[in-house]
Amino acid sequence: MRRALLTTALLAALAAPAAAQATLDWSEAEIRLVGQHGPWPPPPARDPSNRVSATPVGIVLGEHLFSDARLSGDGLVSCATCHQEGRDWSDGRALGKGRADLDRRTPSLWNVGYSHWFGWSGAADSLWAHTIKPILDAREMAGSSARVARLLREDKELACGYERAFGRKPDGDDEQMLVNAAKALAAFQATLVSPRTRFDDFRDALMAGDREAAARYGQSEQRGLKLFIGEANCNACHFGPRFTNGEFGDIGIGFFVRPGEVDAGRLGGIAALADSPFNLLGRYNDDASGANARRTRHVRRLHSNFGEFRVPGLRQVGRSAAYMHNGSLATVEDVVRHYSEVSPDRLHSDGTPLVRALGLSAGQSSDLVAFLRSLDAAPPPRPSPPPLCP
Amino acid sequence: MRHALATLSLVVAAGVAHADQELPIFDAHMHYSHDAWTVVPPKEVVEILKKAGVKRAMVSSSNNEGTKMLQDVAPQVIVPELRPYRSRGELSTWQRDPTVLPFLEDLLSKRKYVAIGEFHIFGADADLPNMRGVVQLAKKYGLYLHSHSDADAVVRHFQQDPDAKVLWAHSGFERPEKIREMLRRYPKLYCDLAFLTSHASGGKVAPGWREAFLEFPDRFVVGTDTFTPERWHYVVEHARWSRQWLADLPPDVARKIAYENGDRLFGGSQ
Repeated sequence: MRRALLTTALLAALAAPAAAQATLDWSEAEIRLVGQHGPWPPPPARDPSNRVSATPVGIVLGEHLFSDARLSGDGLVSCATCHQEGRDWSDGRALGKGRADLDRRTPSLWNVGYSHWFGWSGAADSLWAHTIKPILDAREMAGSSARVARLLREDKELACGYERAFGRKPDGDDEQMLVNAAKALAAFQATLVSPRTRFDDFRDALMAGDREAAARYGQSEQRGLKLFIGEANCNACHFGPRFTNGEFGDIGIGFFVRPGEVDAGRLGGIAALADSPFNLLGRYNDDASGANARRTRHVRRLHSNFGEFRVPGLRQVGRSAAYMHNGSLATVEDVVRHYSEVSPDRLHSDGTPLVRALGLSAGQSSDLVAFLRSLDAAPPPRPSPPPLCP
Repeated sequence: MRHALATLSLVVAAGVAHADQELPIFDAHMHYSHDAWTVVPPKEVVEILKKAGVKRAMVSSSNNEGTKMLQDVAPQVIVPELRPYRSRGELSTWQRDPTVLPFLEDLLSKRKYVAIGEFHIFGADADLPNMRGVVQLAKKYGLYLHSHSDADAVVRHFQQDPDAKVLWAHSGFERPEKIREMLRRYPKLYCDLAFLTSHASGGKVAPGWREAFLEFPDRFVVGTDTFTPERWHYVVEHARWSRQWLADLPPDVARKIAYENGDRLFGGSQ
């Protein structure tokens, strides 16, 4: 069947209407690699460390809290201030801005529920623990556990929603209330799954041997995809349905924050993770088996962690500029140029380097950009959240 | 983000507080290349070394002016190494560049160095004329070869000059068993531990490596490898981390690896 698909290109071009395009020649190995980037969407994310994960009542409480600025110290900043639905759950800025200017770009929340490390440095091992950080951080929301707990206790609607989600009134200690608010927020964020894209249609058609459907994918996009999984080796890190291994890398981007100060990246993230009372080794992990804490238990620091940052997923990549942990690249084209020209002297490896200057031609760069943009799709409009206590 | 920076700052602060009382470090693998000069000026470098408790540092730079700039500020601290690169980007071209040997000879005639390196060479490329020339220059001036290479290239260095003195950068990223085999075979082979973490975790020396350190306590040195400007801000943390695992070795072995070997092999200021 696949051999037949490969040989149909010419026939299709001859027989099809002028607007139709041909599929390129895809080898068995390439088809297998393309197949690894799907299917999409995946099953809903379920986090065993979060008792309200994937529960309708937890999700609805989280959605209400997400846009509630009362969680912040001055009542002016909510999660949605920086993670805006209309900006693909980011803010469109190079660097984030909460109550003060930040040193890293605001990451999009698309598909965040499927990660295993969170934040640019992986300072959290669960989405709910990561959600606590901006609430408490003085430069972001500058909230407090006492403030969050008071809000949940005193606002009748929220208190009702909390009771429905957690099966008890909001009467725990302040820190437990903060954790539970974060767990509801995480339950909501985990529902933000990016829509299917033209790449997904091509991938599924290729896997099914559907020539006609596969040929709807542009030739430039197909050439870019071939580069991505082949010569450019992008899929060494950007693999799987989300186009990320969920780990960390140094791709030659500088990490000075200001003179005399660096962003230690993953190295600092590992230290922060170990220090956090909210990590999966702590008392707030709802998974009694502790199985989900395996990564946290075994993570070890490497010198190479200094200046490493999380490998982002690439779905919706063209819609979520700017790029890199520090927003230092403005466009997808800039990102491709970076990989084409990256200095080998900024990289260090103990063997064959994963990142090397690709030396792409203008045509190759254009193809790679075309492929990356085929991972974008306009999401359908979201309905308003249902009431907490109908 | 803030948390991460704050945590690292605390770690750094802890390192500063105890540097005076702690094991001194001879850091045998540092670079001060041209893109570092303005963002981490020489005085700041010296301050970082002081905070880290690094008593001496063997430094090479692309270009070598960076090493001279540091020597001018701290002649007792900086041990100069001659690098065959004039700028970043020559890492993968120097092996066949006909201008490299005249460039090295010119600098050797003007200034004192203790080593040539760190250079990058692998496999049969170590038999190219440039590499052979570097081996002969090292022999002529009595210098160490600081070689970022695989075991094959190291073997070729010794084939070209059986009396060569080779500092094997990153211990070739080799397994400790292979390193021990090479150290037994070549008495003038020494190993730096820069950028390696396989030998220690959580303050404990890994099995295999422990045997290597105990069998060859006179042949290992530590190094940070400041291959980008940012990594100068890792020197203090690296020294702290090194002291942690060194404390898991017998004190005499720890002292040798920390600084006595560096002092003995590469000496102090030139």
